[in-house]
Amino acid sequence: MLKNYFKIAFRNLWRHRVFSFINILGLTVGMTACFLIFLYVHFELSYDSFHSKANRIYRVVCDIKTPTEVIKAGGPSWAVGPHITQDFPQVEAAVRTTDDELLVRKGNVKFQELNSLWADSAFFGMFDFKLLKGNPKTVLQEPLSIVFSESAAKKYFGNADPVGQTVLLTGEGFTAKITGVMKDIPENSTVKADMLVSMSTLTRKLNPGLDDQWGNYGNSTYVLLKPGTRPGDLQAQLPAFLERRNGTEMKKINMYPTLFLEPLKDVYLRSTRNGNSTGNINNVYIFSWVAVFILLIACFNFVNLTTARSAERAKEVGIRKVVGAVKGQLTGQFIGESVLLCAISFILTLVSTALLLPSFNHLAGKTISTGIFENLNFVLILFLAAIGIGLLAGVYPALVLSSFKPVTVLKGRFSTGTKGQLLRKALVIAQFTISIALIIATIIVYNQMNYMRRQDLGFNKDQMMVINTNGDPAKDAFRNAVAGLPNIKGVAMASSVPGGGNPAAYSEIENVKGVLQIANLDLYFVDFDYIPQFKIKMIAGRAFSPDFQTDTTQSMILNEAAVKMFGYTSPAQAVGHRFKQWGREGRIIGVMKDFHFRSLQLPIKPLSMRIEPNGCNLVAIKLSTQNLPKTIAAIENKWNALIPARPFSYYFLDEFFDKQYRTEERFGKLFLNFSVLAIIISCLGLLGLASYSTMQRTREIGIRKVLGASVPNIVNLLSREFLKLVAIAILIASPVAWFAMHGWLQDFAYRIEIGWWIFLIAGLIAVLIALATVSFQAIKAAIANPVKSLRVE
Amino acid sequence: MIRINDLEKIYKTEEVETIALNKLSFQVNDGEFVAVMGPSGCGKSTLLNILGLLDDPDSGSFLFNGIEVAHFNERKRADLRKKNIGFVFQSFNLIDELTVFENVELPLIYLGVKSDERKKRVEAMLDKMQIMHRRNHYPQQLSGGQQQRVAVARAVVNKPKLILADEPTGNLDSSNGNEVMELLTDLNEQGTTIIMVTHSEHDARYSHRIIRMLDGQTVTENILA
Repeated sequence: MLKNYFKIAFRNLWRHRVFSFINILGLTVGMTACFLIFLYVHFELSYDSFHSKANRIYRVVCDIKTPTEVIKAGGPSWAVGPHITQDFPQVEAAVRTTDDELLVRKGNVKFQELNSLWADSAFFGMFDFKLLKGNPKTVLQEPLSIVFSESAAKKYFGNADPVGQTVLLTGEGFTAKITGVMKDIPENSTVKADMLVSMSTLTRKLNPGLDDQWGNYGNSTYVLLKPGTRPGDLQAQLPAFLERRNGTEMKKINMYPTLFLEPLKDVYLRSTRNGNSTGNINNVYIFSWVAVFILLIACFNFVNLTTARSAERAKEVGIRKVVGAVKGQLTGQFIGESVLLCAISFILTLVSTALLLPSFNHLAGKTISTGIFENLNFVLILFLAAIGIGLLAGVYPALVLSSFKPVTVLKGRFSTGTKGQLLRKALVIAQFTISIALIIATIIVYNQMNYMRRQDLGFNKDQMMVINTNGDPAKDAFRNAVAGLPNIKGVAMASSVPGGGNPAAYSEIENVKGVLQIANLDLYFVDFDYIPQFKIKMIAGRAFSPDFQTDTTQSMILNEAAVKMFGYTSPAQAVGHRFKQWGREGRIIGVMKDFHFRSLQLPIKPLSMRIEPNGCNLVAIKLSTQNLPKTIAAIENKWNALIPARPFSYYFLDEFFDKQYRTEERFGKLFLNFSVLAIIISCLGLLGLASYSTMQRTREIGIRKVLGASVPNIVNLLSREFLKLVAIAILIASPVAWFAMHGWLQDFAYRIEIGWWIFLIAGLIAVLIALATVSFQAIKAAIANPVKSLRVE
Repeated sequence: MIRINDLEKIYKTEEVETIALNKLSFQVNDGEFVAVMGPSGCGKSTLLNILGLLDDPDSGSFLFNGIEVAHFNERKRADLRKKNIGFVFQSFNLIDELTVFENVELPLIYLGVKSDERKKRVEAMLDKMQIMHRRNHYPQQLSGGQQQRVAVARAVVNKPKLILADEPTGNLDSSNGNEVMELLTDLNEQGTTIIMVTHSEHDARYSHRIIRMLDGQTVTENILA
């Protein structure tokens, strides 16, 4: 019996090649999209879960309340880590890390290691990063110990054993011994490092006393709780812990931290304290939904095409029933056919996923998966999903087909014209609703991207090359040498450029009531050239000027947001008032217009600027557009002459600033791709239905033509019914998409308005695509000779 | 073998009510060959469907081998049907996607006959119908007469006690038609009961008895043999 089913299923697939092709193609495209999304979602959810103790590891984060604001910090003060283990027996271990960009040198091999990390000695006991060489308990114990990743070891030592060898950490001015080699940290880890330096180097050699600094922030702290410890219980005891350890100082400086425990597994997707390089649980949800929708569209195609074709199968059903089949057997047969179809699609999905994976990894910006067989469970899941889809999509058509009465179908009184038509229409509407909603969403995402890129940021980022001197003593000499080169329009030095990080300083600023108000104020150290070179506008007072001796130590410039925060109603009102910040005090000499020093997702924060040559490690060079390669080569020459110990590397500010939107850009691209897929699958279905319905109406078309209908009349007749469905879909999709995207846009402090034209364009696109799909069939039917079509009956 | 009493079947659509069978009663004995005749719309086909357990009557009694089957559910009817009844249609109703062999094999599959036993029986039947050489062909590749022989082969392969033929020669020319009628006569002589609906007086003469219907009722019965 099974053999018979298979035989007939295969022959049916072959006889109706077009339908099978549409069905299989639609399912394959849908399943491929879903499989890729599944890999992506799985990857995003897999972050940090490979640690065997992941469920007991928490990141300690911190809200710091000042009289002015609440700062959401990604880590507690330096003292918390060492003391929390002392005070709480339920804390098994604590690890502090802080990232750095160390200049590492081994003979002539030198690299600025952008991904280096200082870490406490319990690091390898807490995390499951695999140590290939060295003792996990001791590798990071002694000061001046360094653990290399496999690739870092290769970079410096080739195939030689690095353990016991030394490298020079030039910037820090000491030699470190390599105590271990670890496997490269996997992509799906929030803790990332190419090399680890023992934290004791900092706490015992370079910065003794760091372990007791309760007011100094800037590290990440992880704690490992003993089994059975409830994090909530521990968290509830932390305020008392801080009070006991640091109460007096908190009161004195009027900054009150509150500690929270974030499960390690939530850090990547759910924490808002990671800066730019993080995932977003909403994106995971969004893509999961997109996957479900795409799959639904593909399944609807299947249901539509199969039920539309039911007339052709009706006779077979009748005969089988006459010769003794019962309904259950036939239902089984038809479901079997749809499962077979899905099984074929499954194989094709594997092939297409394997082919698409490299580009998908590229699109996602990381290696989501190295190959489809990387995890055989996934293939199994896909297979089961395919069978599940086959069952699900097959059930309805199978029930419809198997319930045909042999009496009716064998006597030819059977008409499929109206049967299931309503359902088919509803499914087409659903497909197009999803597609149109995706089109609308894509347009909005791209618009927002464009808006962010084109928005006037309030400063000039064009032709601006930035070089990090990492505080090299020769930085001023380098600056002066560059300034003397041709085709250089200006050189400025600063601690920070827009789009990068900047310090935040404990500050006291005289507010509108004349009181020194405490705030954690973002801070740029700059030189005299910075404000004019970046074309930052002054709206009150004056910019820094070498003409004023006091400017190097006693002057501060605020932005509008800061002025507002301290209660001033006009920028001019703030000028002349006092400030205290990081050991300096003086007067506010000017107010600058707000500029976007962070991404447009975030509101412009209050910002202060001061002249502080020591703090200025970045050299920002404004280039003329002429002879760019030659100019860059000249700059490199100067660098190599003056700072030979460091590798020369630079970036352009405009690209650097736009990097902040990389996540959104990827999101947009992925979204665009999947929308296109959804539309393709919907159109495949529409194509099938259109060709089917024209086929059924061949006779009607013939009669109409004999009675005088023109080709356009016929095309109009056939297209109209489908366009009606698309129109309904537009009406449903528009408000739904508006609502969803309105929510999405809330993540951006500066965002576009959702204009009515977006819906108009999306609707037009959908109508045009549908029309193109349908009219092809319609025209074919309309120009056919009516004599032929009438003879069909 | 068959005894029907006061059988009634009414088709209802939104506007009209059609009485297809109006208190119809008659009886067919084992081994009989009965032809049912009458103008279009007299209820012949409805009668055949009910006799074939493809449809159920609205009221009345239908004894099949002494068992009341008028209100059997679908599963029971299917079971009774596949064991006892073979069908031959005017339009052959072969499955286009299956070969001659596979079409004939179908009833045996649903009866749960083992594969090698099936092969034996199907081949014997094809031999008997002289279409063995066509066993791997598809229905579209056969002439009408050959198709109807396949259909007859399929109807009798499971040795049914009753064959219901619905205008079996309607789509055939006269020589092919005669061949099919000979086939049915042979089967009848071997003991199979046959009820045949036909428009053709010529075909009807092959039967023992003609039941003439009008408006859902029998009007006359002619005994021929």
